[in-house]
Amino acid sequence: MSAQQRPLELILARNLLSNLSTPGLLVGDGGRLLFYNEAAGAIVGRSFEEVTGFSAEEWTSEFGPLDIDGHPIAYEQIQATKIVRAHMPFHGEFSIKAHGGRREIALTAIPIVAPDDSTAAVVLFWLTDGEPVPAHAAHLSDRLREVDGEAAP
Amino acid sequence: MRLKVWGARGSIPAPGPETMRYGGNTSCVEVTLSDNSTLILDAGTGIRHLGMAMKQDRSEAAVAHPVNILLTHLHMDHIQGFMFFPPMFEAGSEIVVWGPASPEASLRDRIARYISAPLAPVEVRELPSRLTFHETDAQEWQIGPARIRAQAVNHRGPTLGYRIEDNGTVLCYIPDHEPGLGAPLASIEDEWISGFDLAHGADLLIHDCQYTDSEYDHHLGWGHSPVSDALEFARRTGPARVLLFHHDPLHSDDFLDRLDTELAERWAQLGGPAGCVSLATERLELELTRDRVQRPAEAAPPPAPPLRSPA
Repeated sequence: MSAQQRPLELILARNLLSNLSTPGLLVGDGGRLLFYNEAAGAIVGRSFEEVTGFSAEEWTSEFGPLDIDGHPIAYEQIQATKIVRAHMPFHGEFSIKAHGGRREIALTAIPIVAPDDSTAAVVLFWLTDGEPVPAHAAHLSDRLREVDGEAAP
Repeated sequence: MRLKVWGARGSIPAPGPETMRYGGNTSCVEVTLSDNSTLILDAGTGIRHLGMAMKQDRSEAAVAHPVNILLTHLHMDHIQGFMFFPPMFEAGSEIVVWGPASPEASLRDRIARYISAPLAPVEVRELPSRLTFHETDAQEWQIGPARIRAQAVNHRGPTLGYRIEDNGTVLCYIPDHEPGLGAPLASIEDEWISGFDLAHGADLLIHDCQYTDSEYDHHLGWGHSPVSDALEFARRTGPARVLLFHHDPLHSDDFLDRLDTELAERWAQLGGPAGCVSLATERLELELTRDRVQRPAEAAPPPAPPLRSPA
């Protein structure tokens, strides 16, 4: 036996993420990086096998998110951390380090609250390619129209 | 620890001439602990015959103990026998029911949905036995001489697997389980396999094997294991002996005989010792001893099986 058995909710979350083409990661109760999928690995430039077991300090240092000056934001200070710990979902935009550069993403974090009240999070994210928020919102509107079968204006 | 299988069928009872040998009753296993007390794993239709046998055969020592029933979950094939378990209707009986918690309602209230109108002619509150209910999230506790460990496992709805340790022997019971859903078992780490800790190193693992691999293609996500995942789970967790359980109601005795042969071949291909994996049959009796058989990961010739039929 290599390590303590993970609770079922985390096993299921990991299995879901590993089958998604949307970039996604799984963060444990103390902020440890439990998993990210191949789509996320393609964006950040490292496979999960290379960073297995990263603590909150290690992965925020490696990937961000970054403040306006390009410095990693401490895990405890990340808005998403605070909101998810209050058992609420979060959606927001961040800068991250990826392939040695700075990229802009939008992310949605969903709390996974265990019976013992510990809280992990599934985080799905998308590159927004550095577009300012209104431009990104416009892009999403165009995408929605495409999905609905309408021609974008 | 001694055990007797009173029902090994899954989903729905399947009585008939074509299921005489493996049996048609749904999940129920009687476990006799080292102090002679009785632990019952699930209350499928097999519990009816168990209850009748208990009424006839219970020794004075056994009667002195409450009957503990460990429910893995509340699907019908695991609780249907409740209403026909004779000790429930005896004023002197003490029955303790353990089962998974749910945010929706208490264990008692969820079982009462079945033991109430219009599905049943009596209500839980009318039963003359002393009946108590305990919800068991992932935890450990003691029942008589046995250390019980419950853990949530991958099935549909809140479902537990159990690990029972008594007098140096370990039984693991995970009758409804789909550990390979969304992740190939052969390639993921132990800590990420549902039920791994429960089964690891057990003397006997009773595990779901409802489907053939080709049947599983049409039942993905239904909460049950195909042959390949059942065997791989056994290989990874290394129990000394494996009883595959929860037979599909469409599987006749002849079909299961052929499957049993195939299982033995595939187990050998995985490096497992001969005679350690078999299909559960109704009324099968086993005794767990401290002797171990060779584990699949080991290479020495297989020693004698650890389980023997009681004299």
